[in-house]
Amino acid sequence: MRPFDPYFIWTVIPALLPFLSVTLAVAAGTLFFGSLLGGLLAAGQVGGGRMVRRLAQTYIYLVRCTPPIVMLFIVFYGLPKFFMEAFSLDINAWDKIVYVWISFTLLFAAPISEVMRSSYLAVDHGQYEAAVSIGLSPRQAFFHIMLSQAAVVALPNFGNAVISLMKEGSLAYTIGLVDLIGKGQLIISVHYGARALETYLALTLIYLVLTLGVEQLFSFLEHHFSGLPPSDAAWHPVKPGGEV
Amino acid sequence: MELDYSFLEKTLLLVLLAIPTTLKLTVVSVLAAAPFSLFIALVRLHRRGALLRLVTAYVTFVRGTPIVLQILLVYSLLPSALKAGAAGLGLSVDVFALNPVFYAYAVFTLNTIALLSEVFRSALGNIAPGQMEAALCAGLTKPQAYAYIILPQALVSAMPNLCNLTVNLIKGTSLAFLMTVQDMTATAKIAASYGYNYIEAYLDVFVGYVLVCSVVQCLFHYAERHVGRYRLVRQKQG
Amino acid sequence: MLKIRNVHKKFHHIEVLKGVDITVDKGDVVVILGPSGSGKTTLLRCMNFLERADQGEMEFDAVHLELMAASSREIAQIRKKTAFVFQNYNLFQNKTALENVTVGLTVGRGMSRMQAEAVGMKALIKVGLADRANFYPAQLSGGQQQRVGIARAIAVEPDVILFDEPTSALDPELVGEVLAVIKQLAKEGKTMVIVTHEMKFAAEVATHVVFMADGNIVEEGSPEMMFVCPKEERTRSFLRRILPQIEYNI
Repeated sequence: MRPFDPYFIWTVIPALLPFLSVTLAVAAGTLFFGSLLGGLLAAGQVGGGRMVRRLAQTYIYLVRCTPPIVMLFIVFYGLPKFFMEAFSLDINAWDKIVYVWISFTLLFAAPISEVMRSSYLAVDHGQYEAAVSIGLSPRQAFFHIMLSQAAVVALPNFGNAVISLMKEGSLAYTIGLVDLIGKGQLIISVHYGARALETYLALTLIYLVLTLGVEQLFSFLEHHFSGLPPSDAAWHPVKPGGEV
Repeated sequence: MELDYSFLEKTLLLVLLAIPTTLKLTVVSVLAAAPFSLFIALVRLHRRGALLRLVTAYVTFVRGTPIVLQILLVYSLLPSALKAGAAGLGLSVDVFALNPVFYAYAVFTLNTIALLSEVFRSALGNIAPGQMEAALCAGLTKPQAYAYIILPQALVSAMPNLCNLTVNLIKGTSLAFLMTVQDMTATAKIAASYGYNYIEAYLDVFVGYVLVCSVVQCLFHYAERHVGRYRLVRQKQG
Repeated sequence: MLKIRNVHKKFHHIEVLKGVDITVDKGDVVVILGPSGSGKTTLLRCMNFLERADQGEMEFDAVHLELMAASSREIAQIRKKTAFVFQNYNLFQNKTALENVTVGLTVGRGMSRMQAEAVGMKALIKVGLADRANFYPAQLSGGQQQRVGIARAIAVEPDVILFDEPTSALDPELVGEVLAVIKQLAKEGKTMVIVTHEMKFAAEVATHVVFMADGNIVEEGSPEMMFVCPKEERTRSFLRRILPQIEYNI
């Protein structure tokens, strides 16, 4: 058994940090596309006809039953095969991160659509009625009155979903993407597995800083948008590592 | 899409046969975690000082790190720690002969302890304080009040979150293959590696998880209805 | 039977009780009146240690206690001899009406199930809810829930029953049925301490009336004296606001 070397944790962190950009890119891309898809799903559930609603609900249900790693593998192995047979397109040259984005977008859209839907429904419909009664068009009422209030209600749950996303994104290394953990595995193999514990501890530290940072960011945003004077505002901290 | 249907069928059976392993991991983790989670929830609701800080740090740590990292950490740490601990007690343990499923139980239980404590904390925190007061006034001791009045009510309000937690745990156990445990995902991976039928195997395991999660959600639905039958709609009798 | 001396209680630097004495003899119905913030509910809650007083002594049937330093065993003993009826009923939501009444007997006092149910049914009959014995609180109206709360209190056969504004949370039509039960208990000679706003009821049922304001007892005496010719101006102005039709003769 090799002796545990705490100093190694300190030295490995600079080797890992450049790959933080990959981890963050995964999160950012998923956040963007996942929110778009989630918004579509939420809109379908709230405003769509029965067929659309059923479709959206079925999608959400199925995705919520799917482990992230299974989704990752299905997309990673299935998409090239599908593209080959349907469009005779060879997409095997696509960067791994694209598969990661697609998988996690599909996954993230489900809980995020629930967050959007429930926060929209939480806004008193009377607000919309008041808006149209003073002459705003339904569209304006939605965008200027309902949406901004819904966004504030959604903040805590949105923050929890983002933190969940960051943690789930760590699975990207299993299909070979060199993000934080991917680089960590490379470093471990260079040392023939002797420095595994130290590397994982370093990764843990980095992730803790990340998630606590996001949590603080959302706490600040909630505080900022709560509309209460700074001295009276009650803190509603987003829980670290939050689940939706 | 061209799929190897005979492989699809065969592997589906294999995956379904692996469901008990997945369920065992889930159920054992939740049951083993429950007493610790209850303890942590009570500490976070009613105590101050070092114990509170310790417990909060533990929950923050588990909730702030990806489960895959927790698995990798425990899997690389536990064997050496066990060996050292056993040596300290004067025993010799062949850590490599230990069934890897033991490590899986350890990781998932440690993870669940933190997440479950949050569920208990919010459920217990939502019980009206008057219930405890009335129980004490009726002559019950605090432990009796918890057993007969508080915990049953907390359990009911915790049901939806418990369902979520269980479903998430079932999905989390899909990573047990990293510890060479033969759960549903591992079975699919192994089957796929023989003939490179990856997509068929993973579609099968997808079906398997949808099945398991659906049954679990159904069970929770009925369980909630049953234990929550005192929360009936008000019938004004006048 | 029950004497409390010199009770002081502070909540966050605000002194809510500034040295209050109360004596309750067997068979008394003591009614405590006063404006909100007078400390009457706090006083009641200090009596069975739902609030811990900062200072004061209690003498219950020759047992002497310091209110601040009482041990949990002493508190449990006091609670075995008293019962409390809450403003918002506090019925055990997960138990039927009958179970609400018997839990204190079976779990709290070790009575057998059959015996407890017999006692419990007697109590429910007394409050007029025998036919609702298997209903859950969610299925009962407010007045019915409060009556179950009273049944729960009388089933344990306490020496004193403490009522904290028993009808304040009820719709007006339901107040009468609860007051009727309490009046019946008074007729049977049960010892009670009642904090209430219901003046007419207080006048009918009380053997002793206490008027509190700002954490002190302003005046106390028989109901005839208190309601018809109160001595203190504070008492008079309070009653004037609540009962404009009562005339005072000198």
